[in-house]
Amino acid sequence: MNETKVGSWLYFFIGLACFLIPGGVAIFIAYDRGISFAPVFMFAGIVIWGGLFWLFPFIEKKVRKGKKKVSFDERDQLIHKRAVMVAYAVLWIYFVAACVIAWCIVGPHGSISVNVMPLTLLGGLVIFTLAQGLACLIQYGRGGKDGEK
Amino acid sequence: MAKSEMQNQVRRLRFEHGQMTQQQLADKVGVTRQTIIAIESGKYAPSLPLAFRIARTFGVSIEQVFQYNERET
Repeated sequence: MNETKVGSWLYFFIGLACFLIPGGVAIFIAYDRGISFAPVFMFAGIVIWGGLFWLFPFIEKKVRKGKKKVSFDERDQLIHKRAVMVAYAVLWIYFVAACVIAWCIVGPHGSISVNVMPLTLLGGLVIFTLAQGLACLIQYGRGGKDGEK
Repeated sequence: MAKSEMQNQVRRLRFEHGQMTQQQLADKVGVTRQTIIAIESGKYAPSLPLAFRIARTFGVSIEQVFQYNERET
């Protein structure tokens, strides 16, 4: 397993944690204190996990600074490029779905809290990261075109 | 419809050059071993600069390493 593949697994799990842990906490809070508290806690949870997530590459670099072997080449670059394209498509579908679902739930004359907007953006970030990590893993794992055997 | 197919002699050339390992070739051309594996198995078509680096490592022309076949399907 090369370093990019290890990185993809880590990004996938951290992305999943960004979404699942605050989501779980928000559901718990919603049952415990009512639905109005849930977005605040989910927002805080995603910000905390997201912050740790963006710190990860710097920690990883410090740990691996002794290694001088090539760990990222043109094939990895191509795989990453495709993964970003897939993640972009998923992100677009997510935003369209978020708009349509909101419309379906509250109706054409309904209103929603403005808290939903930053949460939608954060959700988009998490989904993008998750989709990119997953697309990378699929390309490395399937052993198909450009995949590792 | 025409379907293209790349073939290569990387594995044969490696063995002809003193049983060179995939890692040794990867280090010489500046890629990962996984990329050499993917090239040898025909799952990845390298870029032109990488193809030239591989050919120069073996001291042969690029056509002796990579062949491009176009077939009708």
